[in-house]
Amino acid sequence: MTRNFAAWPIILLLTVLSLPLFIMYLFLLVDTFSNTPPGSLLPNEFTLEHWRFLIDPTITGDIWKPTLTTILFSASMMVIVVSVSATAGYALSRLALPFRRFVLSGIMVMHAFPSVTLIIGVFLVLQFAGLYNSLIGVILVKASLMLPFGIWIMKGFYDAVPWEIEMAGVQDGASRFIVWRRIILPQVKPGLLSLALFAFIDGWSEYMLPRILAPSSDFEVLSMYLNTVSDPNSSTYNFNIFKSVGLFYTLPVLALFVLFQNRLMNIFGGGTKG
Amino acid sequence: MRASSPYRANLLGLAFMTPAMVLLLGFFFLPVVLTSVFAFTNMSTATGISGGSYVVTGNLLRSLTDEGLDAKTIDALGQSSYVIDQAGLEKARAAGVDAKFIAEIAERLKDRSFTSSSAFERELKTLPSRPTRIRDLKIAAGAFEQSVLNVRYASRGEMEAALSHMLENPPEGAIEKIATASYTGWTWTTDNFKNLAIAPDTWRIIGNTVFYVVLTLAFNVFVGLFLAITTFYLPPAGSGFFSVLWLLPRITPVVLYAVMWKWFTWEDGFVFNIAQDLGLPAFNYMKGSVASAWTVVILVNGFVGASFGMILFSGALKAILVQQLWASEVDGASRWQQIRYIILPQMRWPILFVTSYQTLSLLSSYEQIWLTTNGGPGSTTTIWALEAFKTALNNYTGNLQYGLGAAMALVLVAVGLVLSIVYLRLFRFDEMMSKPKIEF
Repeated sequence: MTRNFAAWPIILLLTVLSLPLFIMYLFLLVDTFSNTPPGSLLPNEFTLEHWRFLIDPTITGDIWKPTLTTILFSASMMVIVVSVSATAGYALSRLALPFRRFVLSGIMVMHAFPSVTLIIGVFLVLQFAGLYNSLIGVILVKASLMLPFGIWIMKGFYDAVPWEIEMAGVQDGASRFIVWRRIILPQVKPGLLSLALFAFIDGWSEYMLPRILAPSSDFEVLSMYLNTVSDPNSSTYNFNIFKSVGLFYTLPVLALFVLFQNRLMNIFGGGTKG
Repeated sequence: MRASSPYRANLLGLAFMTPAMVLLLGFFFLPVVLTSVFAFTNMSTATGISGGSYVVTGNLLRSLTDEGLDAKTIDALGQSSYVIDQAGLEKARAAGVDAKFIAEIAERLKDRSFTSSSAFERELKTLPSRPTRIRDLKIAAGAFEQSVLNVRYASRGEMEAALSHMLENPPEGAIEKIATASYTGWTWTTDNFKNLAIAPDTWRIIGNTVFYVVLTLAFNVFVGLFLAITTFYLPPAGSGFFSVLWLLPRITPVVLYAVMWKWFTWEDGFVFNIAQDLGLPAFNYMKGSVASAWTVVILVNGFVGASFGMILFSGALKAILVQQLWASEVDGASRWQQIRYIILPQMRWPILFVTSYQTLSLLSSYEQIWLTTNGGPGSTTTIWALEAFKTALNNYTGNLQYGLGAAMALVLVAVGLVLSIVYLRLFRFDEMMSKPKIEF
């Protein structure tokens, strides 16, 4: 395209608009490796002392236990979301079910519905079920709230698998289950992988559900840990340390995103929650 | 094909759908039902969640007096009486009272009752084998004491029985009234909605919510559009850099994102230091003034939402036929004319989609506000969803009002349901529901 419009005012405007973000993320990285004299904006020395929390539990408390809990939390939630969505998505895409239309519209409404408004109801359900303050309860809730999205995505992937493949399998005498297991499931592997990644990242970032539905339990996920460390009223409050902890907490998410950017962008664009 | 196929397919469908249905019923459908049901109760920390019990307390007596219950009944409720019955004898035995003394009480005073401790003790002193120490006598007397005050009854029936035992000739309906008032569990009521309708705070919070949604939405759509269009025109390196930068708030876990904003705007934070160097007013921008708190709230949410708009709009831009742009350049159109007459008209549906989608999620989202200003200073940046959440699950006074919070959430649930159904119609999601081709 020809240059019939000066680019620099636009770039300038874009830069000014992006400046807060740029500064926040730049200093998130820089401050974890450096010291800044009080009152100054620029760091004056390189140091690794802000990363000592990794080996010294006296600074902010042991970080490895919350890390393991977070891995357990995100992984279990991911397994539930992927397995339940893989089966339900197939049933809704390919099987003649009674009330199929009704269930499908129900799931779409749930997908568009802001699930965060249900938190009070969910709290009561957990109270009655005796799952309040337990890791299992939080995992079940988190996985369930993500299900409409997961089922919807998986249904889309199943819809894209040609009918002929399935027909051929059925003609050869295989049961629908065998067809699904041996022929269809390998076809939707990219979908399963994207959903698994997305679920894992979502679980990793979750703060509200563990905090509200299991406030006094003995497990702590990294998001709760980070919020405790970064409380301005706490005695260990220090901008540099909470940035190191924050970066440590976010690195897996960023790494997954960089590695699988294209897969995730598909899902982000396809039907994300705001 | 085998004859058993239809049956198998249905069984498979059932097996495949059951886990999803159980979870969705348990954590979507049931919460909606419970929210609607408990919106009509006065459930709170004080009443407990499962049922309560029946207790007459000193406080209750005072409030009953205020409600006009006659003084004689109130007096009788506060009194204790002493009845020599089998239960009392058992209690005395358990308290270690001398067996001979108990036998004498049973023999001489059986089934008699006394209205004051002094009369009962005087009577006890006349018995031959009475204990010598006055303390032992009091222990023995205490075993026969009967009072409804501060005694917990599991059911209404027990409470009414105890009351009619205590009160001689109570006024009409008094026992029922006292039993009802003594219930400590939650009860059905429509007061939540009445109180919401008359509370002056309600309108302020609604005003805050509208202000927040409109401004944040405008930021999201305009900045999202601006980013999508500029990165579309920029050379790949530049557009890549800005796309990634604007995606970061969306990927960053919300806690870290919130504390980064704290670092940016808090006392001794980044903006604070710059403002100090420049001689501008430096204070805690997140909580220091209403205007700055609102700015922070809108930017915090706006930056997250803008990337959502950017992704969708960029996708839509890629679908525009590039030949149209080339043709317009041949005709001498400027960039602005291209945007105005070619790009924007084709962005109508994506813009409508982002607007409607974000309206719904902004109406119900409070996580970012909760983690940054927490609705402050005062309650100036409190929106409806945050207030509902705080009322029911997270306040400092310790008395969580589940009923009132559920009533507030019910309003959001209703709005959310209506809007999501409207949007689904609007964006014709119906077409995605093609029927399966293998009908067995």
